[in-house]
Amino acid sequence: MGDRVRRIILSGLVMGMLLFLSFFAGCSSTGRESAQAPVTPQEFAGWNLTINGSFQKILSLDEIRALPSVTGHGFAVSTVGIKFGPYTCKGVDLRDLATLVGGIRPGDELWVSAPDGYLWVFDSDQLEGRGFVTFNETLKEIPTPPLRIILMYEQDGKPLTYNDGGPCRIAIISEQRGVVTEGSAWVKWIDRIEVHRR
Amino acid sequence: MNRQGWILFSVSLLLILVLIMTAGCMQPPQRERTPVRVLAAGSLLLPLEGVETRFEAQNPDIDVQVEGHGSIQVIRQVTDLHRPVDVIIVADEALIPDMMYRKSEGSAANYTDWYIPFATNSMVIAYTNKSRYADEITPDNWREVLARQDVRIGFSNPLLDAAGYRALMVILLAEDQYNDTTLFDRLVGSQLKPPLVTANENGTRSVTLPAVLKPSGGKLAIRDGSIYLMSLLDAGGIDYAFEYRSVAEGQHVQFIPLPETIDLSSSRYASHYAGAQVILGFERFSTLGRVRTGNPIVYAITIPNDAPHPELAHAFLNFTLEEAERGGIGWPRQLGSA
Repeated sequence: MGDRVRRIILSGLVMGMLLFLSFFAGCSSTGRESAQAPVTPQEFAGWNLTINGSFQKILSLDEIRALPSVTGHGFAVSTVGIKFGPYTCKGVDLRDLATLVGGIRPGDELWVSAPDGYLWVFDSDQLEGRGFVTFNETLKEIPTPPLRIILMYEQDGKPLTYNDGGPCRIAIISEQRGVVTEGSAWVKWIDRIEVHRR
Repeated sequence: MNRQGWILFSVSLLLILVLIMTAGCMQPPQRERTPVRVLAAGSLLLPLEGVETRFEAQNPDIDVQVEGHGSIQVIRQVTDLHRPVDVIIVADEALIPDMMYRKSEGSAANYTDWYIPFATNSMVIAYTNKSRYADEITPDNWREVLARQDVRIGFSNPLLDAAGYRALMVILLAEDQYNDTTLFDRLVGSQLKPPLVTANENGTRSVTLPAVLKPSGGKLAIRDGSIYLMSLLDAGGIDYAFEYRSVAEGQHVQFIPLPETIDLSSSRYASHYAGAQVILGFERFSTLGRVRTGNPIVYAITIPNDAPHPELAHAFLNFTLEEAERGGIGWPRQLGSA
């Protein structure tokens, strides 16, 4: 093969590669563009959680993270059937938070609220994981396995984003995968927890 | 192969390689579609599926994004969570003036100043062929059938769903209608832990709910929303469900219609319906109180003053009203129609 022919082939190859790259550019994606940015410490600077019971305690996010934590599988569904999850949820059991302000007794209620004006109430039975309706992933009702209610600050190994209800939200977790719970109790953006004695 | 053949072969090979590797990337550039975000009451999701499809077919540059919630949550997405929304459709017209006729945050304007009432619904008792005593129940004996010990009934959570507190209102109104003062207790009150009692003061029959509604046996089931209630009905987990007529029709289940005097469908009985009151266990939303007073079910539509695409929103609103007027499976009845 002469030099001229080699040059032509080489040019063809180079042009082809350029053509390929120019076509292919824009088709590739790292998939990170749509991912939510993790929470930065600055984003929730000044945020704290007020817990009222027999007395009041105010905790920073760092102080909450320093408390004993639990991890489990969480999966929620909205009132119209939109599923959120499954997630690996990490946080503090609400009973442990209540213990910091005098604890929960049978019949007491825990009022959990957020600055957007949303309030949800758990009774002492629910704090023990009882009285919930659970579904499988196709939203068929299933017998309720042991559940725990936590103040979640980490989802799938990452700090909660604001859009996911960060810095802290409620999650109802199970050791079993694929257990779906009703989402109305998964309060977002929590900044206040109150023990109501009965 | 001679030299020219090699050259031709190499270039062809390259071209084929390029075409294979870029398959899927060669489509014409996607036109950017303008999103029109519509938040609607859950009981309208079925008919709105068709509206979305037909509107987009006529307007290929528009991407209608319908999102369902309970009616209060629909409005809260605008007033409390400040999400950009083009069209709001709720199952209780009173919620719009109550929650949106006020100054929006950071603006001199209200969230909205108007709404169009366009449809009504009625409460019915939905059931299937599998329901116990399905071959016996009639509009005349439904109270007796539902109260039987082995019959399981359900409604949605009054805290979360207007159909839930409306179910309780129907039973309260039925006590007067049939002069049956223990009906509420037989169907609901005694089936909860602690039992619920009704009050009757100045002609208003009311019930105050606890923070957590806990059925005490197998007779009563309470679920977060219609889809779970209807799913439970379909699976035979309950025999009868208090539901909107349009939902029962949309799910193709049988239902017992109730008298206009108690089914919350007619403006003629507005003052009569107001004689039933449900006081929720806690104020789930700080922007709305705990008291729900009986009123005719009226669906209403509006556009928030800060809608991102007001012209498109109006086009979608008009299209939806035309579709609602035409009716069909899953649509609540037109206001004023028989």
